[in-house]
Amino acid sequence: MIQHIDVHAVLQASCSGLYADLVTRPTGRVVRERIAQAMATRAAGPARAGEGALLVARMDFSGVGCMDYSCADEIVAKLLQAGATVLLLRGLSEAHREAIEPVLARHGLAVVLECPDGTLDALGPPDAAAELLEQLVAHRLAGRLPGGTFALTVT
Amino acid sequence: MTRLVEVPTQFDDRSFDQFAGAFAAAAQDGERLLFDAHAAEWASPYGLVGLLAAGQAAARGGGAGGGAELPLLTAPNHGEVSSYWARAGFFREAAHLFEIHGRVPKGKAAEESDVLLPVTPVRAVEDVHDVVSRIQQRASAILASELQLDPKATMGFAMALSEACQNIVEHAGTGGWVAVQSYHWRRTLARRVVVIAVADAGVGFRHSLEPTQAKRFGDRWGDAAALEAALIQGVSRFRDPGRGQGLAGIRRYLARWDGKIAIRSGTARIAIVPSWDDEVPLADGLPAFPGAQVLIIIPEQRSSQ
Repeated sequence: MIQHIDVHAVLQASCSGLYADLVTRPTGRVVRERIAQAMATRAAGPARAGEGALLVARMDFSGVGCMDYSCADEIVAKLLQAGATVLLLRGLSEAHREAIEPVLARHGLAVVLECPDGTLDALGPPDAAAELLEQLVAHRLAGRLPGGTFALTVT
Repeated sequence: MTRLVEVPTQFDDRSFDQFAGAFAAAAQDGERLLFDAHAAEWASPYGLVGLLAAGQAAARGGGAGGGAELPLLTAPNHGEVSSYWARAGFFREAAHLFEIHGRVPKGKAAEESDVLLPVTPVRAVEDVHDVVSRIQQRASAILASELQLDPKATMGFAMALSEACQNIVEHAGTGGWVAVQSYHWRRTLARRVVVIAVADAGVGFRHSLEPTQAKRFGDRWGDAAALEAALIQGVSRFRDPGRGQGLAGIRRYLARWDGKIAIRSGTARIAIVPSWDDEVPLADGLPAFPGAQVLIIIPEQRSSQ
């Protein structure tokens, strides 16, 4: 099972104002800490058969307005740097990608994108991106589809 | 004794050095300052937030009264000019910094089409959220209809604004102001532009970066080197390797839309200069002015772009 994180809901729960935008480092830090806490709780839970040691968190950005580079770095990059969780991002707008992509490039990190049709893509430097998809396949969390695309094998 | 600082009649980024020179000369002996804007005919957002930064620095400086007296400001004589400054939100903020003389129009900053964001204080993270939220509501139609920017560019615009404002919160050590306006840029371009102006009278880039960067630059270290480190090399005062991406992100956004960024801090100004502008990329030895002042210009897109 993949852990689901509603980023917009976390943002709303993290900040005193009803913000829809992921902007500023302090905001990113608070959101990241909440997400990391949720991930840690799950990681401490019982292991599930077939999942191996690879934890996957699906971060849904639907409803998030603007995301700046500071927040992209504070949330996505720092969560990846913190440990052994693969981040599966969905609900990303083009503008969100524009914020995340340079941050990943700067750190040499990659994330998996879940497209609206369910196929997977990877975002990040090409080597890191390809390696990440292979890692998902090796752990039987994703499989190759005809035509070379990838899709999840678990939900 | 009161020292006079003349506000240029056409007060924008070009005449700002003249203003900074007058401010530096008048402020050096700590007397009370009088900012004389009575003859002002026009001020860009950069001029307005820059004037507030000067007021902030002058108020902090204290003057002969040991800090009790605010600097003086004479409002523009011309009713239309004064009215425009009011609509742009200038007087609302200036009232906290200056003892204002002359006729000041009453009423709130207007939500007019050319004032995308009136002069707005930026002191904390909440202010940046507020600015980003407001600009998305206001700017989308202007960017698309008047500047022919792709509607998707609005989000990038908000990102650029957010990063520019965060420089104040994270580095200035004091509050500052931001203003966003759209107007017809007659000088050199003859097109509509959207202008973001951000200013503070805080510690400035050199002071902010000195602990981590001065040794690396050696004898070259100064305001110009600090601006170069921040804007060109993307360094930050924080050792976190993820830092310093904000200005780089702004540069990427502006490169796509043929925009310009210029940052003035201390005695230097650095700019990423598009083909339509003739500013020098790096100017040093300018009259000293406290804090940092950022100018971002995004021009109307030609159909071929």
